[in-house]
Amino acid sequence: MDGITKGISVNTTGTDVHVRIVGRGTFQNGQPLRRCAMEMLERGCSQIFVDLGQCQGMDSTFLGVLAGIGLRLAQGGKGGKVHVINVSARNVELLQTLGLDRLFDVNFIGRDQTGHAFPEESSFQMLPDSDLMETAKGLNKFDTANFMLEAHGNLIKADPRNAPKFQDLTKFLRDKVGDQPPSQNPHS
Amino acid sequence: MKDFQIEQESRGAIQLIRLHGSLDMYSFPRLESQLQALFQQGHNSIMLDCSKLDYIGSAGLGALIGFAKQARDRNGDLKLFRVPDRIYKVIELLGFTKVLQVYDNEETALASFQKP
Repeated sequence: MDGITKGISVNTTGTDVHVRIVGRGTFQNGQPLRRCAMEMLERGCSQIFVDLGQCQGMDSTFLGVLAGIGLRLAQGGKGGKVHVINVSARNVELLQTLGLDRLFDVNFIGRDQTGHAFPEESSFQMLPDSDLMETAKGLNKFDTANFMLEAHGNLIKADPRNAPKFQDLTKFLRDKVGDQPPSQNPHS
Repeated sequence: MKDFQIEQESRGAIQLIRLHGSLDMYSFPRLESQLQALFQQGHNSIMLDCSKLDYIGSAGLGALIGFAKQARDRNGDLKLFRVPDRIYKVIELLGFTKVLQVYDNEETALASFQKP
């Protein structure tokens, strides 16, 4: 995958949002995706198509961001859903381990059953700060801890069996969030 | 993406685990099993060589905190050494340096176990 620009790019067509993840999805580039998705949901977008064909892997925080989007769509009661497509066996296992296969519409590589055509690559826009090589320096400790706590909370809401898996991490993050004042920078 | 590999050696009473590749949610259960097996065998002082680690996920780091606490509860510890800069920045950003002790090399990590 060397030579290909890694990061998260997005296209919005009507009420459909298309997301393409190239490289890894992590706590570092999950924040721009969360910001963008929440804005799109506010605008009334209801179907989120996430192409994982070039995604090398996702950490639990990133999956928690996707879970948060899925939960919000499910609560909206308008039939909104997260559709993940081109999912490798490895990523399917991750989704199943966290019970997210019940929240998302999961489509394996080569077996996309959504019948949905992805727009051309040139119509996608790279999310600012979604390239992992560039993001780490701009992150704030408090906001990152808060963001991770929220993401893992989403995973636990999506499937309560996740609670023991993340108990050490969430306890640590809760203590950390309690210790520090929030950042003054709303974008950090 | 490199496959995750684990090598284990002994340094007297200290167990040394060398990690290779990516430590993510997919590969972490292998390390988890190995650490649990060591605890069951009574090996509570463990150091992880991270020099060949090219990625570690947030859940993996969170679980290492839990193992470090378990090791300390048993009068041992779990320490990291030769952590690549990119990964150290993540550990520092998340504030995990308060809980996970990180050393420059094997010698200093090993020596830290001998200090009272």
